[in-house]
Amino acid sequence: MPEPIITFDNVTFTYPGTEEPALRDISFSIMPGEYVAVLGLNGAGKTTMGLCVNGVVPTMLGGDLTGTVTVGGLTVSDYPVREMSKLVGMVFDNPEFQMSQMSAAEEVALGLENAGVAYEDMKRIIPETLELVGLAGFEERSPLGLSGGQQQRLAIAAVLAMAPQILIMDEPTSNLDPIGKQEVFDMAAKLNRDRGMTVIVIEHEVEVMARYADRVIVLDQGRIVMNGTPQEIFSRVDDLAALKLRVPEAAELATILGTDYGLWKGPIPITTEPAVAEISELLGAKNG
Amino acid sequence: MSMQAAMPIAMIPGNSIIHRINPLAKLVWVVGYVILAFSTQNIVILYSMALFALLLAPIAGVTKPLLKGALILVPVGSSLLALQIIAPAVERPWTAVDQIGPLVLYGDGVYYGFVLLGRIVASLLMALIMVMTTHPSDLFTSFAKLKVPYTLNFMLAMTLQLIPVFQREVGIIMSAQKSRGMKGTGFSAVLPSFVPVFVGAIERVQQLSISLESRGFGSDGIKTSYRQVRGRASDWVVGIVGAVVLITLSVVAITKGTWSLANEITFSPLFVLITFLIAATLFAGVILAAIAFSFKK
Repeated sequence: MPEPIITFDNVTFTYPGTEEPALRDISFSIMPGEYVAVLGLNGAGKTTMGLCVNGVVPTMLGGDLTGTVTVGGLTVSDYPVREMSKLVGMVFDNPEFQMSQMSAAEEVALGLENAGVAYEDMKRIIPETLELVGLAGFEERSPLGLSGGQQQRLAIAAVLAMAPQILIMDEPTSNLDPIGKQEVFDMAAKLNRDRGMTVIVIEHEVEVMARYADRVIVLDQGRIVMNGTPQEIFSRVDDLAALKLRVPEAAELATILGTDYGLWKGPIPITTEPAVAEISELLGAKNG
Repeated sequence: MSMQAAMPIAMIPGNSIIHRINPLAKLVWVVGYVILAFSTQNIVILYSMALFALLLAPIAGVTKPLLKGALILVPVGSSLLALQIIAPAVERPWTAVDQIGPLVLYGDGVYYGFVLLGRIVASLLMALIMVMTTHPSDLFTSFAKLKVPYTLNFMLAMTLQLIPVFQREVGIIMSAQKSRGMKGTGFSAVLPSFVPVFVGAIERVQQLSISLESRGFGSDGIKTSYRQVRGRASDWVVGIVGAVVLITLSVVAITKGTWSLANEITFSPLFVLITFLIAATLFAGVILAAIAFSFKK
């Protein structure tokens, strides 16, 4: 049985200057190579949970943390963020605010320079990483002159170049068009599959999560209210609705057909393809 | 959302000899130019320096942007000369050479006016040549080699980056305020946009610091550099020649007082009159254009 790479043990966290905890008694663990989606309304504590993994909470932001977060065998609160950065790469929702360099190549180089990677290796890693995020040939472009989607992918490249074991993306596609969103999730899935990278995605896009994630964690007011496979979570259409959360349209449709019309017999589908297959069979049966 | 041309004076990419010179060697020339320009009042030296800088422009392929950048000299230069002619910055008695209405023109200040202008022209042209042929990152990499602390260097580079960002942010906030019926032009319109811009800046900086820290910023280990700035033999030659020539001339100038040629060169009354008319016309033109522009907006 392999060891979990991330463990939250009764974690409660309150931001400095606030009364209400942002996280309340959170416990869960993530195995190496898992693709985890975190779902919840704004203010549910999703971002705070991500920041706990790379140590920005509590090392940089202060506040009151009880319980322990263990990542890769290290107790996060004992190490500076820059130390955790070798293990955890985190991408935030506003890519433009993360840019600091004059060219895309230098933006990607920043983390490598800080880690003391040799020039010869950087010359190999940087174009490779840019190609991985679909920005091949963008080396000399100014980060501020890129489109929102390109900036987001550059921010991801800047983190990926450091070859972290864990990649956390906090609403990585909020600035992207549908194709751009698709690209980011495809890329994360590829990293997860090919490199065994542990991926945590904080997102509102339930359709994509249903497709890619191994596991979904649902947060509400700082607590974990659901934790399971996408199939388990997204089948609970009414429970999610009570939390004001959307479900994939396929699941919603199947639930309505089942409860209101008694037409749906099988398990609730969470992606489009099985729903289409089932419905065409249903229609075929009626016609024939 | 893209913004490329927000900065009027930026590097013009190229691969000329001047582009390839090490940034520090170029910096030696710029600093040397400023020192020499302000230690001498010899207009032959000053305008030779300006001419030399100007000759570098076609080699670097930056003639057009250089002249565009040098346009700033028109209001500065014309006002300097015009004022020196009607109110010389030298001891009385002044010799009147002509009179236009109530304005008495004096010949005594012309030389000094040309000295002031020459200093600015020479220093500015050389500095522009350097800025236009040096990638800012290479300059900062060179600073790092000079053991400038990493964080200080980063702050300098970051400042350069943030100027266009804030320019754009001011633009966005001003458009938003205009669309809500607030005044859209002039200084009084810019002022209320400062608060949101600064609040936004603080938020941006906090996010940036988290992002940087998440990429290992501030780690104690050895840092490497992606940008490789070479110091070849030719760069040393350029730097040392620049330092020797410019410092020697500065020392000579200082030992000779300022090496001023004010007593050797006299200007004819006609020359003074023509200089004044040109300078005054240009200056008035600039002011009128500025007024017209602000009303048009």
